Amino acid sequence: MSIQLLKGCFDRGQDNRYCNPQNTDQEKVNKSMKTSPVRRHRLVKALGISVTLSLFAVVSGCATTPAAEPEGGGEITVQGAFSGAEADGLAAAVEAFNALGEGTVEIDSISAQQQREQIATSLSAPNPPDVLTWFAGKATRDFADEGLLLDLSDVWTESLSDFSPALRDLSTNSEGQQVFVPTQNYWWGIYYKKSEFEANGWEIPADWDSFLALLQEVKDSGQIPLGIPLGDSPWTASAWFDYLNSRINGGPSHLGLLAGDTSFDSPAVSDVMDAYADVLPYFDPDAAGVTFPQFTSDFAEGKTAMALMGAFWQAGLPEDTQSDLAFFQFPTIDPSIPVVEEAPTNGLLVSVNSDNPTLAKKFVAFVASPEGQALLLSSSTGALGTNPTTTRELSDLETQGLDMLQSAAQLTQFFNRDGGEALQPTADSALVRFFFAPGEVDQILVDWQAAAERARAL
Amino acid sequence: MVVVLVFLPLLVELLGVLLPAILGVGISLSRWNGLGSPEFVGFANYALMVEDPVFSVALGNTAIWLLLFGTFSYVLGLAVALLLQADRRGVGVYRTIIFLPVVFSSVVTALIWTSFFQPDGLVNWLLEALGLGEYARAWLGDPDTVLYAVVVAALWRQVGYVMVLFLAGLKSIDPHLIEAARVDGANAWQRLRFVVLPQLRNVNMVVISVIIIDALRSFDIVWGMTRGGPFNSSELLSTYMFVAAFGQRALGYGSAIGVVILVLALGFIITYLSRALREEKES
Repeated sequence: MSIQLLKGCFDRGQDNRYCNPQNTDQEKVNKSMKTSPVRRHRLVKALGISVTLSLFAVVSGCATTPAAEPEGGGEITVQGAFSGAEADGLAAAVEAFNALGEGTVEIDSISAQQQREQIATSLSAPNPPDVLTWFAGKATRDFADEGLLLDLSDVWTESLSDFSPALRDLSTNSEGQQVFVPTQNYWWGIYYKKSEFEANGWEIPADWDSFLALLQEVKDSGQIPLGIPLGDSPWTASAWFDYLNSRINGGPSHLGLLAGDTSFDSPAVSDVMDAYADVLPYFDPDAAGVTFPQFTSDFAEGKTAMALMGAFWQAGLPEDTQSDLAFFQFPTIDPSIPVVEEAPTNGLLVSVNSDNPTLAKKFVAFVASPEGQALLLSSSTGALGTNPTTTRELSDLETQGLDMLQSAAQLTQFFNRDGGEALQPTADSALVRFFFAPGEVDQILVDWQAAAERARAL
Repeated sequence: MVVVLVFLPLLVELLGVLLPAILGVGISLSRWNGLGSPEFVGFANYALMVEDPVFSVALGNTAIWLLLFGTFSYVLGLAVALLLQADRRGVGVYRTIIFLPVVFSSVVTALIWTSFFQPDGLVNWLLEALGLGEYARAWLGDPDTVLYAVVVAALWRQVGYVMVLFLAGLKSIDPHLIEAARVDGANAWQRLRFVVLPQLRNVNMVVISVIIIDALRSFDIVWGMTRGGPFNSSELLSTYMFVAAFGQRALGYGSAIGVVILVLALGFIITYLSRALREEKES
């Protein structure tokens, strides 16, 4: 009420005596409000009708009629959360598939963040997208356990029989059925610039001790050895944790920790944090305030020398940095432990409520085939196809990455994909706090375990 | 006919506003990850909340945020409105400049201010240029300063909004009262205290309600700048609610935090409004 009176005063200037709240003659005000009752009446009536109409429109839009199931052919929708080069690749693969004449595929593009938030509702809706791009790991296992994913075992037996056992395990649900078709993955490594290393005579470290020696050398030369964007991407700290845990305690132990079999507040994790404390002095001291773009430009400009990053990062670097780019494998700490590499895998899953499972299966088999993967990854840098037979020409870095992944004993998926989304914020908190106060490590681990238990109870 | 016209908006309000709020309270009493149906757990979420250290940090930060954001946006908004209330030539330019931040998307505001606060950003550059280089630091990276840095960015936007509300209120004051006070020998400060401020009581109700709601609702600026800051240092109840509900997919727990925000907002506003209305009734 006040706002309307005041607004009126603002328009009409100060001489309207109704603008002074203290001198308001209530009756006169009421009368002035009633001066055009007919007009007001009509306005409200129009509003009421438009509201009712829009309500009806919304309600009728929601009522969907189930489509008849076609025999082969027909149409399916792919919900793709790719951007940039990968989105172009998916479009190319879809075009090629449509040209085969077996059916029509339509792409529904959404952002990755939006898909993460909506996928639960998308899959359980009565009219879900038929095929969705998604990640392997706990992220898929959760949906599989809820029975939302179509069994794709026949696709695996027919078309994907030569895929590696590691990938097969990754795509299997708790009942032994395959529910996921992996299409691409990428590697993680410690990136550096060749020209910098050559100019300073630095050598690629073969093991942990030589890595620490290298870090000291870089620091002595005046450059910041390691960059990390903790400002807006604290999850990058989990990469260091994942690697250190896998190198010190082994892959199965690391996955067990993330699954909740062991506690964060244990001697095994303490050892990991001790090693982490060894590298802490070599990080950018301002890292907690640095955003991802800032971190990228710091590396490109030579402010930082190295960064533990995934291959997806390559595409975001400037052209001249990309041609100067190289990476080495995270150094071995304990030679007796089989090498584990992080290889977050993306792929396709099919909704169990799909109207056209036949066409959906044909489509995912096509995308996983050598031709499909060549199209999918045609403009990507830093992504590897999962099909062992590939017709793609790989760059030097991609060849190096592929060799690294193929010689690894086990592939993990990264903290949030292995441990679940609920666990990731607990790692962010604990590891960034460790960055500020490494001396409080015992309390940090106790709090981390408590937070993990709470996250699992949610 | 009148009954129908009253009933329709009421229906929209009930379905669109009240029903989701009640459903939200219902979800807060359950455990739900977005898949399948919610599982009723009574007050388990609230019990978890009491023991949750992140919740206590978020609550504390929200209290600090309410205090700083509320006080400074009120005081600065009023000050700027008093300064720019006279319709002199060119005052419209200043008013527009101060109001412009309100128009910008808050995500864009967050991105720009984040770049200002970077270790080699505008703020540190200015400090060094003024010879105060020793105060330069990673504003968003230091747990001690991050909340205050984000408040500055949020205030930059809010002051313009509060200024406009106060300008409207100041325009409504009868100039005869101020003239009379000046004739009686009151100086500027006395005029402000005894004539202008009491006349602004109606606007105060609106301004303070708006400020409280905006403070408790602040999400986009904080999320855009720090996502809750170095290990929860800039975590507010609103950002924690988002993380719990959509990051950790614990929709029951997120709803419980939402209920806490609702209770806080209602508590403040109802207390304030009932006091203010009672005062107005008496006067």
